[in-house]
Amino acid sequence: MGKKIILIVSLLVPFLGWAQRQKFQINGAARGYYFVNRLEIDPELDSITTRKANYGHTLFDMGVSVFPNESTEVEGIFRIRNELGGFWGGGVAFDVRQLTLRGVAGKVVRYELGDIDLSMTPYTLQNFQEEGVVNEADVFALRRDVVHYDMFYQNDTWRMQGAQTSFGLSFDKFIKGLDVSSFLTRQRPTDGIRQPERLFGGGTLTLIQSDRLQLGLNSVNIFDLQRTIPDSIQYKNNVHTGILKFNQPLNEKIKLGLEAEGGISNARYVNYRDPKAPEKRNEWFYDAAAKLDLPTTGISITGGYKDIGADFLSPGAQTKRINFGRFPGLFQQITNNASGRPASYTDFISGATDNSYRISEQLMPYVAAYTYSNPYGLATPNRRGAYLKAERLDSTGFRKSFLQAALLTESRGTGTLEKKRFLLIETGTDWYVNDHLGWKKDIKLDVGLRYELTRRGGQEFEQINLGSMMVDAGLSLEVVDNLDLMGGLKLWRAKGNALIDLRNRYNTIENFDIVDYDFWENAYAGGVRYRFNPRNALSAQYQVFNIRHLDASETDYGISQFTILFSLAF
Amino acid sequence: MNTRYAFLLSLLLILSCRKDDKDMIDGPDLNDLFGPFTVIQPVTPDRSVVNFAADGPVGFNGELSKNTDWEIKLVGASTGARRSITGFDRVISAENGTWNGGAASFPAFGLEQVYMEVHFPNEPGAPIIRDTLTITGLKNDEGILITGFENGTGPRWSFFNQTTVTGGIVCGNGQAAKGNCYYSWNGTVGWDWAIGSVMVKPDSGTFNLPASASNLYFNMAFKAIQNVGPTNSFMLFWFDEDDDGDGVFEENTEDRYTHEHWSTGTDWDLISLKYADLQFDEDGNPVTVNGNGLPEPAKLVSINVFFLANPGNGNARAYADHLIFTLDQPYTP
Repeated sequence: MGKKIILIVSLLVPFLGWAQRQKFQINGAARGYYFVNRLEIDPELDSITTRKANYGHTLFDMGVSVFPNESTEVEGIFRIRNELGGFWGGGVAFDVRQLTLRGVAGKVVRYELGDIDLSMTPYTLQNFQEEGVVNEADVFALRRDVVHYDMFYQNDTWRMQGAQTSFGLSFDKFIKGLDVSSFLTRQRPTDGIRQPERLFGGGTLTLIQSDRLQLGLNSVNIFDLQRTIPDSIQYKNNVHTGILKFNQPLNEKIKLGLEAEGGISNARYVNYRDPKAPEKRNEWFYDAAAKLDLPTTGISITGGYKDIGADFLSPGAQTKRINFGRFPGLFQQITNNASGRPASYTDFISGATDNSYRISEQLMPYVAAYTYSNPYGLATPNRRGAYLKAERLDSTGFRKSFLQAALLTESRGTGTLEKKRFLLIETGTDWYVNDHLGWKKDIKLDVGLRYELTRRGGQEFEQINLGSMMVDAGLSLEVVDNLDLMGGLKLWRAKGNALIDLRNRYNTIENFDIVDYDFWENAYAGGVRYRFNPRNALSAQYQVFNIRHLDASETDYGISQFTILFSLAF
Repeated sequence: MNTRYAFLLSLLLILSCRKDDKDMIDGPDLNDLFGPFTVIQPVTPDRSVVNFAADGPVGFNGELSKNTDWEIKLVGASTGARRSITGFDRVISAENGTWNGGAASFPAFGLEQVYMEVHFPNEPGAPIIRDTLTITGLKNDEGILITGFENGTGPRWSFFNQTTVTGGIVCGNGQAAKGNCYYSWNGTVGWDWAIGSVMVKPDSGTFNLPASASNLYFNMAFKAIQNVGPTNSFMLFWFDEDDDGDGVFEENTEDRYTHEHWSTGTDWDLISLKYADLQFDEDGNPVTVNGNGLPEPAKLVSINVFFLANPGNGNARAYADHLIFTLDQPYTP
């Protein structure tokens, strides 16, 4: 009996069965969000900035799915947004939030056209978590979720416009199956003068040998289309990786595994006349880890080693969510000198920061006090070292606990042969106290701790010694049915110095910014939430934020916020 | 057990692929940006008595604690000639710090003492290193020298001076752009722009210039002293070509190319122009000449250097020196 190919349609089109029964479906979300913001700052330092900024909006996202036939879906989400105070049509905006056509061609190939969400691996394409989150309390997460929803930060995907296809094959001998997917998106149109049209495409090929062994190839490629502007410049960046996943159950209680990803990146600047533009920049990396699963205890331990080359450039995996090069929209300038206010915790949570909506070819600015070890996620270039992850899941009590540690160094010194050394520890737990008390109503304590230490030796002007610690904690208490009291705090302490890389548009380090930190950044929030049902809630909360510098030349200030948030999904 | 060994072997294989960039630095050197500055070895010339013609350029040597901007300033004690050599290297050597004896502009260096100063402009509080050189032989000029007025006038030269103007070669007062002598005009001409001129001719035939005008430059030092300014005085050059080769320039049938250079200040000014550009005016249009219309330096038989000044401004005074043709690039003093 020869090879027999079986099409796996059921894996690809879970929605089709439902579609056979209905031709039309409406879903959506609604939100009312109101802010009262107050700036707290010494009047002698700032006598000009208006202290209060109140605003809000109501919006309705209406999603319409049409199923013209059993293998096709057309989905559109239309947004109506009304700014607070914009009566009778003033301040009302109508947008198309999403338009997607998806289906299955020939009962084999799944396709999506239009607005699509894409994610691959941490080194090729992934939208990694922004700063300021370890194990966030509900009182903060409620508001952060709003930002993520608006920016399409669903898990770790990037929202793009283009097309993607996928299909799977299964075999009855030698290998179990083969999954293939590919995509092509348009990153930006041309301006017809200096900026060529840019596309981003790639795909994965995953060979499933068995339940124990999986091999894969990934490729992501950015490229400018020539002849879309008079000039012939062309930027290209290719990242190709291979992955290996292997697991070996030793017995019912112990399972061993190996996961590895390695590959190359290649950036090219073709026909650039700027002498600073490198002709090409090639690099490679690997990340290999051994995993120990103890299923009966819920414990999982991973230990690994990675080496990400100094010139590894993977825009799809290195783009930051927050652009620290821009000042936040709320109280953008403060003090009598109208100085730009750097983005801080409160802005991350409320969404006042400038957030990325597409991948960036340039390594974006970062704040070393928030993260120095991994400013560009796992794919941060010029990092080498070992890491450890441990996680324990339980059905009661400490339902989810984790510990992560990494000991990294630079693989190439920046500005000196001396290399920075990083120690990063993150730990946290979700503790359901009610499980111990035998209460049905949740009493949940979220605790998270992040500690980072960066050091570099050498002469005085080379030395770096920066420590930062964050406490991320909160309490959710269901006092009566569906009514929660919530509280939370985020405390950040940073002290030390840093030398921040200043890169040009070609990601070449041209200079260093000497920065000294010595501050406390604190946010406290309390609120109440009533859950009408799992997808419909009304909450009110009050948050106090302040930043206090021990250096008198820096500006201390605070922002208090009262918010009312109504959210509904159907 | 075999599975476990394979597992460990795979891990070791991957780890053995470690990269090693231990001798590389990303970005500019921090020592250069923020390190302390000291002079490890003072910057000095490789010889203090210099004969450029015989021994070639002077090299400078020194060592600093970091890469930083440095500038070696050289000033002629008698001529006031100036030259600056700059760099951004921690080690200064003949590779990045040499002087061929030339000046940045006119006046050129003579047989004289030269004061040397080394500055570090981006290092506050850095010392200024001083030294002295003595020039005993000038650098060899590359080019075809027409005259530096050092040997008097030629037998076929002709002169014009208004009756109130003193015009002629002056030597020995230390005012020359290069060497010891220069040509001077001095006088008040209240009725006319024309002050005076000198027509330089070879002793016989042509100046023996190359045939191609496209890479040939005419150069001359010019210094306006009185009646100065871009609307007040200028040099007018005539380049006369013997198109038919009969040994005589005929104004009505042969090419006379002209060029004006207006004065800008009272320092020595280097006039340099490509010979091929004489066939165009300042707007790029072809000029009208009476011969074959081709700039042909090999047929050049005379150069007239004519000083003109605004008659309404009183006394006019100017010097000219060092008429020289160079190939491929303008003259460097």
